[in-house]
Amino acid sequence: MVKAGFIAFAAGSLVFGATAAHALSPSDLLKGYEASARSASTSFGGFSAQRGRAFFQTTHGGDWSCSSCHTQNPATTGKHAKTNKTIAPLAPAANPDRFTSVAEAEKWFKRNCNDVLGRECTTQEKGDVLAYLMQVAPGAAK
Amino acid sequence: MARMRVFVWDVPVRLFHWLLAASFTGAFLTAESERYRDVHVALGYTVLGLVAFRLLWAFVGTRYARLSSFAFGPRAVVDYLESIVTFRPQHYVGHNPAGSWVIYALVVLALVTGAAGYATYNDIGGHWVEDFHEGAANVMLTLVFVHIAGVVVSSLVHRENLVKAMVTGYKWVTRSGHASGPAD
Repeated sequence: MVKAGFIAFAAGSLVFGATAAHALSPSDLLKGYEASARSASTSFGGFSAQRGRAFFQTTHGGDWSCSSCHTQNPATTGKHAKTNKTIAPLAPAANPDRFTSVAEAEKWFKRNCNDVLGRECTTQEKGDVLAYLMQVAPGAAK
Repeated sequence: MARMRVFVWDVPVRLFHWLLAASFTGAFLTAESERYRDVHVALGYTVLGLVAFRLLWAFVGTRYARLSSFAFGPRAVVDYLESIVTFRPQHYVGHNPAGSWVIYALVVLALVTGAAGYATYNDIGGHWVEDFHEGAANVMLTLVFVHIAGVVVSSLVHRENLVKAMVTGYKWVTRSGHASGPAD
C-alpha cells in the first residue's frame, strides 16, 4: 500500500516534471510522503521534525548515523565517512538543489538507509527526516 | 575431418577478459552502498585501465588479439547472423562479426561509464552525469548478457567450448568445407 501510494505520487510528479524541470519543492515532496503514509495507515499522526532530528543523529545499532557523513549540522558541508570526500549541504535552506526530485530523494534514501540501518526507511522515517531538514536554518548551529 | 588445436587467445587477452569481467561485476555489486564506495571507485579505475591496455593490445598483440582480425562491417554481421539462423554457421577462429560488434559496444560503454563515474565522483557536472553513469552501466550489463547468450549459442552451434578457449587460449578448428572458410 505504501509503495502503491507512492508510485502513484511519483508517476504524477514525473508527468508534472516533464513540463517543468525542478517544479518539485521539498514541501511538495513532504506532502507526497504524507499522502502515502496516510493511505498506508489510519493511525498516521503526522511527521515530526524533532523525531527526524533524533533519527538523523542516532546510529540505530550500527556504526554510522546520517550525521556520520552529513554532520550534526546538515546546513554545512558534509564529509563522506569512507572516502573523506566533501558532500554538499543536505538542508534545503543551505542547498536549494536538495529534495527537488522524487526519484533522486527515493534513490538516496534507499541507499543511505541501507547503509545506516541495514534496511530501507519507512515513509514515516523519511517524512520525519525531511521535516527536520526543512526546518534547519542556513548556517544553523544545530 | 581433421581437427587441429590452434592457439587463439594470448595470455594478455585472457587476463584482460577475466579481469574486466571480475572488475565490472565487482563494480556493479558495490554500486549501491557508500560503505564500498572506495572499492567501487577503484574497480572503475581498473576497468578504465584494462580497456586502455586492451586498445593498445588491439594494435600490438598477437594475431587474434588485433583489431584487424575482427574489424567487420555491418554486412558481415548480417551474413553471420543469417548463417546461424539458417543452420549453416560460418566459422571464425577468432571473434565472429556479431560478437565483435558486441565487443565494440562494450568497450565504448566501459569508457563512457568509467568517465561518467569519474565525473560523478569528483562532482563534475550535475545529477544528469550521475544518472548517465548509472544508465550506461545498466546498458553495459544488458550487453554483457547479450555477450554471454552469444557465447552459449555460438558454443552450441559450432560445437566448441568458447568459455574453455578463453581459459586455455586454445580452440579446436576443423579443417574442412565451410568450417575454415572465413577464418583466414
